[in-house]
Amino acid sequence: MKKLTLFFVFGFAFVIALLVVSTGEARALDENSCLSCHGTEGFSKTNQAGQTVSLYVDVSKVNVSAHRYIDCTTCHSDDPHNVATPLTKLSLAEKCGTCHEYEYKLHLQSIHGQQLALGNPDVATCVDCHSPDPNPHSVIRTLEYNAPAYKKNIADTCAVCHNDEALMVDYGIVEKVYESYLRSFHGKAIDLGTYEPGALDEATCTNCHGSHDVKSVTDPGSPVAGMANLAVTCEQCHTGAGSQFAAGFLGHREASSDNIAPVHYTEIIFRIILISVIAFGAIVVVTAIVRFSINRWRK
Amino acid sequence: MATLVQAAPAAKVAEEGKIKRFDVHQIIQHAGLMLSFTVLVLTGLPLKFASLDISQWWIGVWGGIDVTRATHHFAAWIMLAVCLYHIGYLVYTVFIQKKPFPVKIIPTPGDAIQLFHEVSYYLGFRKAKPLVDRFNWKEKFDYWAIFWGMPVMFISGFIMMYPILATRVLPAWALPAALVAHSDEAMLALVWIVMIHIFFNHFSPSSFPMNTSIFTGKVSAAKYREEHPLEYERITQTAAEEGPTGAEPPEDTY
Repeated sequence: MKKLTLFFVFGFAFVIALLVVSTGEARALDENSCLSCHGTEGFSKTNQAGQTVSLYVDVSKVNVSAHRYIDCTTCHSDDPHNVATPLTKLSLAEKCGTCHEYEYKLHLQSIHGQQLALGNPDVATCVDCHSPDPNPHSVIRTLEYNAPAYKKNIADTCAVCHNDEALMVDYGIVEKVYESYLRSFHGKAIDLGTYEPGALDEATCTNCHGSHDVKSVTDPGSPVAGMANLAVTCEQCHTGAGSQFAAGFLGHREASSDNIAPVHYTEIIFRIILISVIAFGAIVVVTAIVRFSINRWRK
Repeated sequence: MATLVQAAPAAKVAEEGKIKRFDVHQIIQHAGLMLSFTVLVLTGLPLKFASLDISQWWIGVWGGIDVTRATHHFAAWIMLAVCLYHIGYLVYTVFIQKKPFPVKIIPTPGDAIQLFHEVSYYLGFRKAKPLVDRFNWKEKFDYWAIFWGMPVMFISGFIMMYPILATRVLPAWALPAALVAHSDEAMLALVWIVMIHIFFNHFSPSSFPMNTSIFTGKVSAAKYREEHPLEYERITQTAAEEGPTGAEPPEDTY
């Protein structure tokens, strides 16, 4: 009996100890103990060109990243101390493409990828949309609610560049695409919806423009280039939508006398009615308040 | 209490009597319109002001955007039903029962004069309020604002509810134009109701805290004489000619 009690006491202590020890966070795979040096904040080097290159990797982010169980050397070669630095956007994309071949192929055909190949540093590549930092070590899966490529966050992610007027004017994109999207039925539905996947059955940027294979709207291959393509794209969700349905789209612009003029005139007419009627009502109410107050004060 | 009433002069009792102003159909129509309007505003506003935090919270209270949208659609159908009820009621009372009162809602040049006199009174240029018959200018304005607003809201709303069907018969611009019309007309209706309708029916001295006539159908004779003196005079005269029938007016006066 005494033996049994002792057995229980040790067993209990063992389980408690196990729980205490195992409450640590998930740890990223690090077969070569890279993080023992590179996990130190401020770890850096000076390269041949005299630039200071940070060699620090935020362990807390790697621990929760999509690739936490893929060892450092999978991407950083077997001899990681013998590589050219710093990396470029193109070399980053190439590295992702060694595993994500299909996405890489599409990316290279996209407007972003074509510009990337020309050495344009402005354009988005893998990490810009898939990592919140954007740092390749903190890439997270698109089904995580805080992923930049999670459905609810996509418009905000695109807006990082496409809502930057100074940057966009270089590419002839003068439309306020983000603001006009947020004003639209789709934008409001996504904006007001929750993060639940079921609540996100609404179109965002990538649904019409494509994601990895996103094309310039001037490219005839774009799903939104020309009314015929646009109508086909609308029909993906709006079954039976015809060309008239697509033609009602204001094209990320405000209605004006050049852009679907009847809508512009409808705006003007209703604005005039709204302002004049409300102003008229306000005058009557204000004068009435004055009179009622005077009458009451005189009593 | 009974002795008090008995002790009161006969004229005083008549003063406290009620005059019937609205029939049961009008009471139902107003209640239906009021309830559906309230629901439509509560479910529509967060869509207009989608970027505000309070809209996000409010949509969450309803249980998500789908629920809010479905409720908005449902309330719209109820409102349509109320309007069709009113149209049917109008046809029945005007052409079959041949009652004179619905015709009195039609605006006349006298209403503009009445408005001018009323504002003059408020500003102190006239000593007394204008004399009103069955409907004052505000009641007429409310009625015709709804009469104009309802088709605008229904047509634009149903274009947006059935966009694919709508663009099969209508030109492409009908869809974005419907959104503009729906949104602005809704704001107009809301601001008018909150500012003018609520003010005069809850905060004017004769109505405070609430003008209950549209819910009970009855108005006290004293108030009737103050607010609708011309009609009051006609009612009491007719009543006097036909004998002492109390404060209830004859059926055909309203």
